[in-house]
Amino acid sequence: MKNLALACAAMMALLASRVSAAPIELGASVQLTGQFANTGRYYGDAYQFAVEKINAAGGVKVGNTREKLNLKILDNQSDVNLSVRQYVQLVTQDKVNFLLGPFASDFVLADSAIAEKYNVPMIQGGGASDQIFSRGYKYIFGTLPPASDYFDSTLDLMGQLKPPPATLALLYADDAFDVSVADGTRKDASKTKLKIVVDQRYSSKASDFNSILSLIKSQNVDAILVAGHETEVLNFIRQAKTLNVNPKLYSFTVGVPSADFRAALGQDANYAFGMSSWVPSAALKDEYFGNAEQFANEYKKRFGYEPDYHAASAVADVQAFVKAIESANSIDPVKVRDAIAKVDFDSLYGRVRFNSAGQINLPQTVVQVQKGKLVPIYGPKGMLEQPLYPMPEWSKR
Amino acid sequence: MQLLWQILVNGVLLGGLYALMALGLVLVWGVLNIVNLAHGALIMLGAYACYYLFTGLGWDPFAALPVAMVLLFCLGYVIQRYVLNLIIRAPMFNTLLITFGFEVVITYLAQIAFSADFRTINPSYAGANFSFLGATVPLVRLLAFAVALALTLGLWLFLEHTRIGRAIRATAQNLIAARLYGVNPRHLYALTFGIGAALAGAAGTLYGVVSQINPYIGSGLTAKSFAIAIIGGLDKSIYVLAGGLFLGIVEAVTALYIGPTYTDVVSFGILVLVLIVRPTGLLGRTA
Amino acid sequence: MKFSTKLALAGVGIALLATVPWWGSAVLVQFGINALILATLAQSWNIIGGYTGYPSFGNSVFYGLGGYGVAIAMVQYGLPFPVGLAIGIGLAVGFAILLGLPVLRLRGHYFAIATLGLAEVMTAIVSNLEIAGRNVGLILPLVKGDVLFFELSLILLVVTTLAVMWISRSRFGFGLIAIRENEQAAAVMGVNTTLYKILAFALCSVFAAVAGGIHAYWITYLDPGSAFDVALNVKMIIMAVFGGPGTIFGPVLGAFVLSAISEILAAKVTSLASIFFGIVIVAAIVFMPRGFADLVRRFRHLGWRYFQENIRTYRV
Repeated sequence: MKNLALACAAMMALLASRVSAAPIELGASVQLTGQFANTGRYYGDAYQFAVEKINAAGGVKVGNTREKLNLKILDNQSDVNLSVRQYVQLVTQDKVNFLLGPFASDFVLADSAIAEKYNVPMIQGGGASDQIFSRGYKYIFGTLPPASDYFDSTLDLMGQLKPPPATLALLYADDAFDVSVADGTRKDASKTKLKIVVDQRYSSKASDFNSILSLIKSQNVDAILVAGHETEVLNFIRQAKTLNVNPKLYSFTVGVPSADFRAALGQDANYAFGMSSWVPSAALKDEYFGNAEQFANEYKKRFGYEPDYHAASAVADVQAFVKAIESANSIDPVKVRDAIAKVDFDSLYGRVRFNSAGQINLPQTVVQVQKGKLVPIYGPKGMLEQPLYPMPEWSKR
Repeated sequence: MQLLWQILVNGVLLGGLYALMALGLVLVWGVLNIVNLAHGALIMLGAYACYYLFTGLGWDPFAALPVAMVLLFCLGYVIQRYVLNLIIRAPMFNTLLITFGFEVVITYLAQIAFSADFRTINPSYAGANFSFLGATVPLVRLLAFAVALALTLGLWLFLEHTRIGRAIRATAQNLIAARLYGVNPRHLYALTFGIGAALAGAAGTLYGVVSQINPYIGSGLTAKSFAIAIIGGLDKSIYVLAGGLFLGIVEAVTALYIGPTYTDVVSFGILVLVLIVRPTGLLGRTA
Repeated sequence: MKFSTKLALAGVGIALLATVPWWGSAVLVQFGINALILATLAQSWNIIGGYTGYPSFGNSVFYGLGGYGVAIAMVQYGLPFPVGLAIGIGLAVGFAILLGLPVLRLRGHYFAIATLGLAEVMTAIVSNLEIAGRNVGLILPLVKGDVLFFELSLILLVVTTLAVMWISRSRFGFGLIAIRENEQAAAVMGVNTTLYKILAFALCSVFAAVAGGIHAYWITYLDPGSAFDVALNVKMIIMAVFGGPGTIFGPVLGAFVLSAISEILAAKVTSLASIFFGIVIVAAIVFMPRGFADLVRRFRHLGWRYFQENIRTYRV
């Protein structure tokens, strides 16, 4: 009882301190150093870029004034426990109005509990695992599409290839996101004519796929789907080459869309399929950046590396807050939270709107690396370009 | 059957690299009684040294290997001479802790210097392979295996048949007597640790060609090296070959027949079992 | 300082600490919970590492088992928190006895490596267990209000320290110290070394398990990596060693001081925080290997030459 009273008192104090505060404070704890830094940086940089652009355009309209956005980013050193403490600090000490999320489902799982505890809305573009959205939390929203749907468009594409692959190997790392992907893929594959002959879960710390690859080779599997992290996918492709494993097709949940991944593999990246909920196309119009293509160019000029869907998703998070604040015409957390649940707008990331659990639903576009370039192959509206299929053997490339 | 043969070949090739990884650790442990928790971090540095020589100067990784070894030797020498020598007669536990501290510092500095991006060392022949009795043998793995064997044998010869090698062994066995013979222990200790670091550097180079590197691979490699060292036995550095091969094969077979998520259970389970049942390792003499 | 004065000071300290959630900021409470749990862990390690002289890297296993006991009980079976804690303690003590028997026969660094191996094995085993949520982990129900956790952690630390205090003046404790100083002589004198070692191991498992259970419930999330984290074990060892192993208040002091500095760094200059521990350990081991308590005691006689003496004693 005392806890409840205390919590209420704290909330009222927080609210009182916020109503008259300006500018609007956004807070995030991101992996700027540590093992996940090479993806975490997309979020730190993109959040900043978005806030700058929005402020340059005049800021956020609340009531009769336009308020600027202020961004505070903390480095959680890729440590989940530290990120949780930092979010508490952001909410209670730095008194931010709203929260932006970290990268990776396991971080989001832990950090969103803080948002829920303190009733501060958090929009994150880094976690897609089903568990995040199945807890009935009200204050967490996500701009990454559900993990279980990741391979859907790839499976559709596979059904249209000639000759269609008959056997499938499904490999997945044992973390929250990849397990969700595998569960969903298994279910969807069972509705097709594909037969899953290898279904292997591997440890996220693994870098040695030799045994699995040898098994796949001995079974002559047609198609391989891998749900894992960039470092594992990289190893997988390299080891597939050294062991001379030649499936007709292989597709990966991560890695392929990012430029430094393709650079690290060089020629070996060719023919690999991947997916992205985002392509930097001029067709995706945006209020602040013009369109996705312009965004990509400016981002590259500003930060020195190409953005991918992580960055675009992060920008969408900031924009979603702006739209929600303007629609609620207030910075009261409860009102904004309700407004976020109802947003529906177009951005450089695509159409942003959240389902009842708080998650976005965007189709994945199947992409393929062809002659060193990333080519969108198959989107929600069907075939965009011809895929190079089947994959030629390693010795014949 | 074909599959099992391929798995065994995989395991043996991996085992050679494993043996080299643990070699430096075994040397330092056996001679100096220092359990180096920063061993994996040194491997990581060796990998980066090779990476920069490869991408920056265009050197073939196997040519860069000796250079990486020299660089790591110097680093190891300095660490031992100016820091570890100061605490070497303290309870053994202290060296455990201090090397942990080094691991943290080295990893952090590496991340600042090299960024968190993962890197690969990708020479043009990285994908080459050939067939051996029905199994596909990747060329770089075979080369790594050969280098690992050569270095292990080289170390054994060094310790048995050269003056310095014998001096190192003498100092390990009886410091006072060695001193009476004119040995300078500070220098010798530093030399030993330097050699251990150089071997770690070599392992790092090979690891970078076979897998990918980032600043955080250190702690995992240290844990693995411990398992290999203990399983093989610490008496003679050559026993590490047994430990490496054993673990390489066991892991490959486990990944296939039980499941890839169980390799750590098996590796470390065997480590604990060996410690409990036969602490001197598979080949060591029971004390 | 006389012991009764120390005790009085401690009492005042505890009373003050207990009131923190009412006047401290939420960040302070967060820090407090974390520091209290770390202090408990350092103190529990003190029993097996400081008093008995067996440097264990396995305390993180007890911590993890405590956390999983609570998580599995609450998430899979819907049992209340105290029951979960009891299960966690049961698991930890069982593990301590079953695996303590073979492992405690090893000496010195072999024991350390064995416990390190055990920690790795447990991580790998749990990440394959369906009931523990495999590597994905488990999500616990959310409880709003950190006051509960703060007070629980404080009570736990007090109990653990009282246990250590009792050990330091009991026959059991003298037996442990005898084992630390010269195990063979202790056995000859009639100390049942096996029994005493197992008891010490089991005792520290209880406190570590409760700490793990509280932490899991507080963070609402548990996975094998964070539950059995070896780096956490090293941290608790460093805090105990820094503060003074084999003393009553040493580990607590070490934990609070190091946590505070680390937290300040993490808030202000985040990048330095990670390298901080590394540098502190290296410096502390070289200059004050017997801990803060020893430093305080002998600095008065030796002044700055204290550090030089330490180096001189241990260098080659």
